[in-house]
Amino acid sequence: MRLDEYLEYEADEAAERRRLAEEKNYEILDQLESFENRFEEHVTDDSLVGSVSPSIFVGRSNYPEVSTGILSPVGHEDDAGRFETSGEWYDEGVGIADVFERRTSLLNSNRTGVGVDVHDAWDGFTGVQREIAIADRPVGVEVGLDGRPEVDYDVSRDDVATPVGPRATAQSADLTENPHVPRPVEKTLEDDDWQAQGAINYLYRRGFDVYDINTILSAGALGQAENRKLVPTRWSITAVDDTVGQYLRGTLRGNRSVDSVQVWHNEYLGNSFWVVLAPGKWEYELVEMKAPGSIWNPDPDAGTYLASAHEQFEGRTGYVDETAGAYYAARLGVLEHLSEIGRQGKALVLRHVSDDYWGPVGVWQVREAVRHAFEGEHGTAESLSGAVSEIGSHLPVSAARLRRKSTMAAGVQSSLLEF
Amino acid sequence: MFKAIVSASTLRDSLDAVSVLVDECKIRLNEEELSIRAVDPANVGMVDLTLEAAAFESYEADGGVIGVNLTRLEEVAGMANADDLIHLELDEETRKLHIEVEGLSYTLALIDPDSIRKEPDIPDLDLPAEITLEGAQLNRGITAADMVSDHIRLRVDETDETFHIEAEGDTDDVDLQLESEDLIALTAGPADSLFSLDYLKDMNKAIASDAEVRVELGEEFPVKLHYEFAEGLGTVTFMLAPRIQSE
Repeated sequence: MRLDEYLEYEADEAAERRRLAEEKNYEILDQLESFENRFEEHVTDDSLVGSVSPSIFVGRSNYPEVSTGILSPVGHEDDAGRFETSGEWYDEGVGIADVFERRTSLLNSNRTGVGVDVHDAWDGFTGVQREIAIADRPVGVEVGLDGRPEVDYDVSRDDVATPVGPRATAQSADLTENPHVPRPVEKTLEDDDWQAQGAINYLYRRGFDVYDINTILSAGALGQAENRKLVPTRWSITAVDDTVGQYLRGTLRGNRSVDSVQVWHNEYLGNSFWVVLAPGKWEYELVEMKAPGSIWNPDPDAGTYLASAHEQFEGRTGYVDETAGAYYAARLGVLEHLSEIGRQGKALVLRHVSDDYWGPVGVWQVREAVRHAFEGEHGTAESLSGAVSEIGSHLPVSAARLRRKSTMAAGVQSSLLEF
Repeated sequence: MFKAIVSASTLRDSLDAVSVLVDECKIRLNEEELSIRAVDPANVGMVDLTLEAAAFESYEADGGVIGVNLTRLEEVAGMANADDLIHLELDEETRKLHIEVEGLSYTLALIDPDSIRKEPDIPDLDLPAEITLEGAQLNRGITAADMVSDHIRLRVDETDETFHIEAEGDTDDVDLQLESEDLIALTAGPADSLFSLDYLKDMNKAIASDAEVRVELGEEFPVKLHYEFAEGLGTVTFMLAPRIQSE
């Protein structure tokens, strides 16, 4: 390959993605304009904005000096909760355009160059941000802005929080009400000798979903005192999915295995998921097939892009190079199902990203699609490889190519006890 | 009662073979030899190790069983140079193992053997093919396979009388073909099985490159790897369950 070909491709990629997003839905751009109109109505004087905030955002560039912000749906205070990413978005059946609409409706009042060491910071901007994060409902805030919000429409490579809404630099932030903090969250806050992993799992067992825990972790409100740092939102999501997943995996170790091969399916936002469960000790793999023309594989002539990551009974030691956050999000959905039925097993998740997936909505989409894949009917097969060949006709790649990419499609790990 | 003196290298070779699969194990201190058998928590890999009394400078034991934290014991053994002698003595009263290495004494707390996973029964397998090769050859095949995949295929071609170490990756393929004259011995038979490289790589680490490795292989059956260390006074058998296509 010639170097200039490669460079050209890099440049084209971003432009191409933007073009795709724009062609498929102009409403996003309208949406940003309407934000500007709403914003005008809600600015009390030159710069003071009164709103409510359901959530926060911590950026990851320039770590450990990060950009961190308070998110507020200016003009939508009455139903601010629905602007916060959660599993309910799936139940509501939000579409890709809805996600964009919600995200771009959130004003990000932020500060840059904020040090991540925050263990005892409960006043000032960071303090307000942390109060918002630990509250279980949107909190009234008044933010003093330095200038007008900037509308920056950018579909970036960040698969989590894009596209972002308007941003403005915050001079000050104050709460206009006392936040309501659930008792278990207070407990984790007060105990600053508790490792973050333990506190995360405690909250999960107390019925908090990973979305809530993620926000709390992100605000640096969990863990041992000296380790309480702001955690970039994207890292935090993966950390919580992974931590809770490891906890669930640990609880399943001694369980009986599922007794038959089951094929579950779900489809959401242009993504098709097949989950194959098979008898045996825990083993898991996510294989992603990204159609040409879909958001992360924009070149229509590129062919299907394949990525995979796999773990055996005791988990993996290496970093997940491919599939990234989706790996942990899908694993969580599978483990929750196994935990519910009190079994363990082998799980192969096949994700087909079709060209209908024109905009990145975040890994919550993967998590919820897999969680909900276990509703309703499932197919059966004689073996995992039998299941894979049955699914094969719905997949964009040949069985041979899949076998080369997928550890589990090539063969599942047997046990010495079987011989 | 257990009291022994052994060279650091012999002790380390023994521990390395077991620690690739487990973090703790039972050590049987028989009169004539020391033996360890362990299986990993997923029941995928097994090790069966024997070290004869003659491999020690001195050895006295009466059939006791101790449970040890292998990681810790390896660290202590790691404090010695290869030729150093390590003194081991069990204190029956306190259930601790006294270790002495060149003036350094270390008291290792033992683990209740009953709290350690049960030692596995060795599956009785009649495997049709047998290949004997050098550790270095096996290592070469495994290293090459690891470049392209996370699993490896071991196969015997009965017609050509060749042994193949193969891997199929996303885009690339590896095939190390060993003719009978490249091998120390070959008994051809129907043999073709797929294995996890994670496990095989770990087992391979314990095998010296100049060791003779006897490989017993079948079709979608566990593989057995036999080798000797400590000048033939120590023997190890690894057994590894295959990854299988159909059940």
